[in-house]
Amino acid sequence: MSIELNDAELVLQIGSGDQNAEAELFRRMAPRVRLYGLRHLRDEAAADDLTQMVLMTTIEALRARRLREPEKLAHFVLGTCRVTVLDQRRGVQRKERILERFGPDLVKPPAMSTPYLDHDQLTRCVQNLRERERTVVVMTFFDEQTGADVAGFLGVSEANLRVIRHRAIHELRKCMEGAA
Amino acid sequence: MSNPNGGGTMKCTRPIDPAMLADYWIGIMAAPEEEAVEMHLFECDHCGDRLRQVIGLAGGIRKLAREGSLRMIVSDVFLQRVAESGIAVREYRIPPGGSVECTVTAEDDILIGRVAANLSGAKRVDMCICNENGIEQLRLRDIPVHSGRTSVAFQESITYLKSAPSMKMVMRLVGFDDEGSEQLLGEYTFNHTRSLPGPGAW
Repeated sequence: MSIELNDAELVLQIGSGDQNAEAELFRRMAPRVRLYGLRHLRDEAAADDLTQMVLMTTIEALRARRLREPEKLAHFVLGTCRVTVLDQRRGVQRKERILERFGPDLVKPPAMSTPYLDHDQLTRCVQNLRERERTVVVMTFFDEQTGADVAGFLGVSEANLRVIRHRAIHELRKCMEGAA
Repeated sequence: MSNPNGGGTMKCTRPIDPAMLADYWIGIMAAPEEEAVEMHLFECDHCGDRLRQVIGLAGGIRKLAREGSLRMIVSDVFLQRVAESGIAVREYRIPPGGSVECTVTAEDDILIGRVAANLSGAKRVDMCICNENGIEQLRLRDIPVHSGRTSVAFQESITYLKSAPSMKMVMRLVGFDDEGSEQLLGEYTFNHTRSLPGPGAW
């Protein structure tokens, strides 16, 4: 069910006990929280767990009408993400507490669609890059080597490395889009 | 861009550049810049979709690197991390003017030819891949090396070599000085023997 509510209206509806609004919150925010989780936790299962924890914490706050500025829902969810990840790094067992509180009612995050990637075309596009660009993108993305490692290998500054990397990414996108 | 409906599905009027999204993904942004990107991503699904594309691209490149199917110059740090991740690396070292008997097996994931050369004074270095008669077939221009190095690690496509028949390949490194004149830095001969089942010739 799709509800045409802005964030502030959504917050107010959840505060009044509207379960459809809660479902809409999940639909709207789960992909964003999951992306945040992927970026900071580097693990799909951990990102899914984070999504559940953050959204249940959010819903709990909204049901209790603890969000003073409803139009700042996105800020609130992002802030909750940051606190939850920090807690996880500190070893605080929020997950167990949330699971205990919500138990079987915990909503499973919606499945995320992964963009299709033509592997053969990507091979051609990467091979068509300039030599430095190819080396930079492969070294960068293989295991996310630091800029200093790659810059040291090329004998360039990190600022120059950034220019090379950015140019390579634009070339790759252009090449991949051209083939689509 | 914030969607008035809160759903974030409208097309963004100020989309984040994909290269910036890549910087965000690999975690090299300054904190204020990263926070601004994150706030935008929490209000804009259009840019979220673009980030997913960047993540897909990064994953695809990582897969290509693991497959060893790219022809490219690589660093020692890269090779060390590749080996640490359980990828089998076969490496042949060869001095200037030298030749080496080489092959690939089914167990190999990445093939490296490490060619020694004096690169000092070269402003630019090209790698020329030649046939058995020394006729240039392919030139990798301005390869990523700098003058302090004494060797170049070249990754040949293992996909190609696993299907290639026995053959001789000549490789040359040529340097360019300040005036742009070309100078041979080294010539290297790889005598590849096929050790996997398959046709004896192309």
